[in-house]
Amino acid sequence: MKLRDLQKTFADALVLRESIAADATWSALGETEFTGSERLSPIEQLDVYREQFWLRHVKCLEEDFPVIAALLGAEAFEKLVADYLVAHPPKHFQLRHLGASLADFLARGDDPLLADLARVEWAYVDAFDAADAPPLDANAVAAIPEDAWPGARLVLHPSLQRLRLAHPAHEMRAAWWADKERRPIERALPAEACVVVYRLKFLLYAESMEPLAFDMLDRLARGETLGAAAEALGGDVEEKIGAWFTRWSALGWISEVRV
Amino acid sequence: MNFRERHRIPDLGVGVGFRPKHARDVVDGGGSRDVEWYEIVSENYMVPGGRLMDDLAKLRERYTVIPHGVCLSIGAVEKLDEDYLARLKKLVRSLDPPYFTDHLCFCKASGLDLHDLLPMPYTKEAIEHVVPRIRHVQSTVEKPFALENVSSYLSYRSSQMPEWEFLAELAERADCGILLDVNNVYVSAFNHGFDAEKFIDAIPAERVVQIHLAGHTDKGAYLLDTHSDHVKDEVWALYERAMRRIGKVSTLIEWDEQIPTYDVLAKEAALARAHREKAAP
Repeated sequence: MKLRDLQKTFADALVLRESIAADATWSALGETEFTGSERLSPIEQLDVYREQFWLRHVKCLEEDFPVIAALLGAEAFEKLVADYLVAHPPKHFQLRHLGASLADFLARGDDPLLADLARVEWAYVDAFDAADAPPLDANAVAAIPEDAWPGARLVLHPSLQRLRLAHPAHEMRAAWWADKERRPIERALPAEACVVVYRLKFLLYAESMEPLAFDMLDRLARGETLGAAAEALGGDVEEKIGAWFTRWSALGWISEVRV
Repeated sequence: MNFRERHRIPDLGVGVGFRPKHARDVVDGGGSRDVEWYEIVSENYMVPGGRLMDDLAKLRERYTVIPHGVCLSIGAVEKLDEDYLARLKKLVRSLDPPYFTDHLCFCKASGLDLHDLLPMPYTKEAIEHVVPRIRHVQSTVEKPFALENVSSYLSYRSSQMPEWEFLAELAERADCGILLDVNNVYVSAFNHGFDAEKFIDAIPAERVVQIHLAGHTDKGAYLLDTHSDHVKDEVWALYERAMRRIGKVSTLIEWDEQIPTYDVLAKEAALARAHREKAAP
């Protein structure tokens, strides 16, 4: 077998969910291509790699989604990973990206709470190694003329992850991490929540927000000016915006104000 | 001049794999005098920012840091990932190490990243395929490059030579260095029934820029390279044999599963130094 075919065969075997050691077709192929050893048949040798493929990827996703793993239990979580990898096989050299599509995958299923949990847990993964940014320069902000503020745009910290959830999944996550005894998790009941996950001085946090403030932040994150965002939202936004700005600056969410 | 002399590859002494669990001990706590240098898994530091990158910058201020990749996939039939190489080059430039390393294996096939170090068939076809890829990697990154022998659990009927001849011919023809993983030699020797000492004795000593040591797990029918334990006595003996043949060369302890405290890891490094001094005083 040529190198190309050999490597394709290897890949085909690795992604199989069940052991191939007892499979007649694979055993015949194994006899042709692999030597075996005193202790392992040729196909048992290949099966070592197949087994490691699944152990490695289950472990990776368990590390990135520990709350989902705890909620489902080992067997159901492994099945979830298997189904997920069939739909989204690993195509990035970094394992760090393996779970990038899990929330979308779960959103197509019948348990929307799991999708929300995946979004929250993945937001922490993304916030952890997002780009750094300098803190807001208070002197530069103070120097902005008053009439320039409506046209100003905010540059938000790259770690900031904005989540609009149908369940308070961030509270489930917090409860699980806080419980050293790792008792069974209680499922959160449906309740809309606006949450920001962010990094400050290398620590990760989640902050619940009132919907209006979240909408404002969302518009600013998408590049709208302060004036345009406030006008679009209307109501009493203009009265609140000063307090929001102060709060968001203190949390390190704003890196720069561009006028 | 041989490879090490031409590229002025230094003997860094004994180092350990830098893992996030030990970052506070090393970066904030000053590390240990038993650990002279560190190795990182390159791909873990191909990220935009955050604590990992901050720790790496601080580590580099005080130590030589060698980037050791696990995803280059030098042996794959698929094209080399130029985006990956650009990111690797950026990392290497930031660390300015005397060399960088990865594994003699393939990790990609059929469009998938399999995230494992899959063994090559030891064939002329594979040599012809891999040699120009090594040259391309080395010239792109602009630093000396060394390839590591992997642990393997499978051997191919199509192989035309033993692993040590395959590795030696590749290194000679591509003019690259060798990262000799002594534990991998021991594991593969057990799994395939060859003589580990023969491997050590046949490797071109002047191309070895670094040695890896680690613990493995006995799975009954085979040994698994888990990096989850102390270095076994048989591997220490093989290491001493390598030291007697190669002379003092940078040595690294890897520990990636059931990671112990930093103190335990530093003691393992001290033990490596003792074996090194005994074999090559």
